[in-house]
Amino acid sequence: MEQEEYIRKYFEGDLSEEEALAFQKLLKEDPAFAAAFDFEKNVKKAITLNKRKALKETFKAYEKPKKSYKWLYAAASIAVLVGLFTWNSFYSTNYDSLYNQYYQTYPNTIAPTVRGTGTTDLKSEAFFAYDTGDYETALSLFTKIYKSTSEDYALFYKGISLMELEQYEDALAVFNNGVFEENSIFKSYSRWYAALSYLKLENKAAATAVLESLTKSENPQREAAIKLLARLE
Amino acid sequence: MKKGKHQVSFFLIDLFTSCPTIVLMNNEKLLISRLKCDDPVVIKKFYEENKKGFAFFASRYQLDQEAITDIYQDAVIALIENAKKGSIDDLKSNLSTYLFGIGKFMIYKKLKKDKRTVSIDDGEFPEVAFDMYEEEEINLQLALLRKGLKKLGEQCQKVLQLFYYEEKKLDEIQELLDYTNKDVLKSQKSRCLKQLKEIIKER
Repeated sequence: MEQEEYIRKYFEGDLSEEEALAFQKLLKEDPAFAAAFDFEKNVKKAITLNKRKALKETFKAYEKPKKSYKWLYAAASIAVLVGLFTWNSFYSTNYDSLYNQYYQTYPNTIAPTVRGTGTTDLKSEAFFAYDTGDYETALSLFTKIYKSTSEDYALFYKGISLMELEQYEDALAVFNNGVFEENSIFKSYSRWYAALSYLKLENKAAATAVLESLTKSENPQREAAIKLLARLE
Repeated sequence: MKKGKHQVSFFLIDLFTSCPTIVLMNNEKLLISRLKCDDPVVIKKFYEENKKGFAFFASRYQLDQEAITDIYQDAVIALIENAKKGSIDDLKSNLSTYLFGIGKFMIYKKLKKDKRTVSIDDGEFPEVAFDMYEEEEINLQLALLRKGLKKLGEQCQKVLQLFYYEEKKLDEIQELLDYTNKDVLKSQKSRCLKQLKEIIKER
């Protein structure tokens, strides 16, 4: 029997007992044959793992839209509640509903996620995790990136990831203590998200102070800050 | 598929998946045959239908929601894989029961890996042949192959996928892909492997 036939029969599960013995012997004695066999075993693994990954991504996508529908329902019901009971805010501030109205995940403006290009650098991996809602992974990757490059986008998205994970205190530490380039878009947005984190933590005084500072300069969130401030007062 | 006296089966070819549509079979068999050919609607339905039940079933093992979802997904993947290999064509139990069996097996493995006390003794595991392919060491050739495969031509992808992933014998592949004789298919397969070798060398 030709050498190739042994390998084929192995994968087809058709080796007889005798053939299996001869096959084992060949593997031991002929390194080239062993390498050819290893190569085919790796081909099998590679195809299988690729298939599994594709299915896994499909399944993860099933889980995603459901979540956003839930969020939509939640947002819709909050909107209705707010409409019906605005008088409620005369008596107390509903921090959660305010937060939900004003909080939005900051979009990925740095590295658009492109599938199948084969780039696997840290940055695109981090944003891929971020875009797919895997904030835990995103958090650890952005932390890593910031440690090695000190780029402020990494710091900023680390903060947002923390907010998504509902770790508001940690997010505040990032937004308050982090060094953002002066006049950069991240500088003003980090103030905005800090205000929202305070809001979520029901720290009205701190939230108000940060929002007030936002209303005093020209920045993209100035309008929003004025509106939110009015709701808080 | 033999035509029995009482069972009329006929085949339609699905334009998009080139997957035979088999009408008038018992439900379980039909479901398996649709899972085999990647019918996206059937896969999604199967996934959604069993999810809650699985989560309930898994809830007694003290795993968080995320871990349960992760295991559930892997279990469905394993089930589809085994369907494609034809190893559950003669399944005695119901497909959901089989799925839960795989899931239970995977939960057991996970708890063991996390070094947590395992007390799964109710019932038995089904025979689940599923290699997780967890590597202890880094396998460079494997990593290169996973990328390189995408660069192969369509025919090569089909042949290799049927042989290695779906574990079909060459005779079956010859029939499925309409090769006039086995030798042509054999040399096609060797050519594909050779191409793959070249592709991963180029890098």
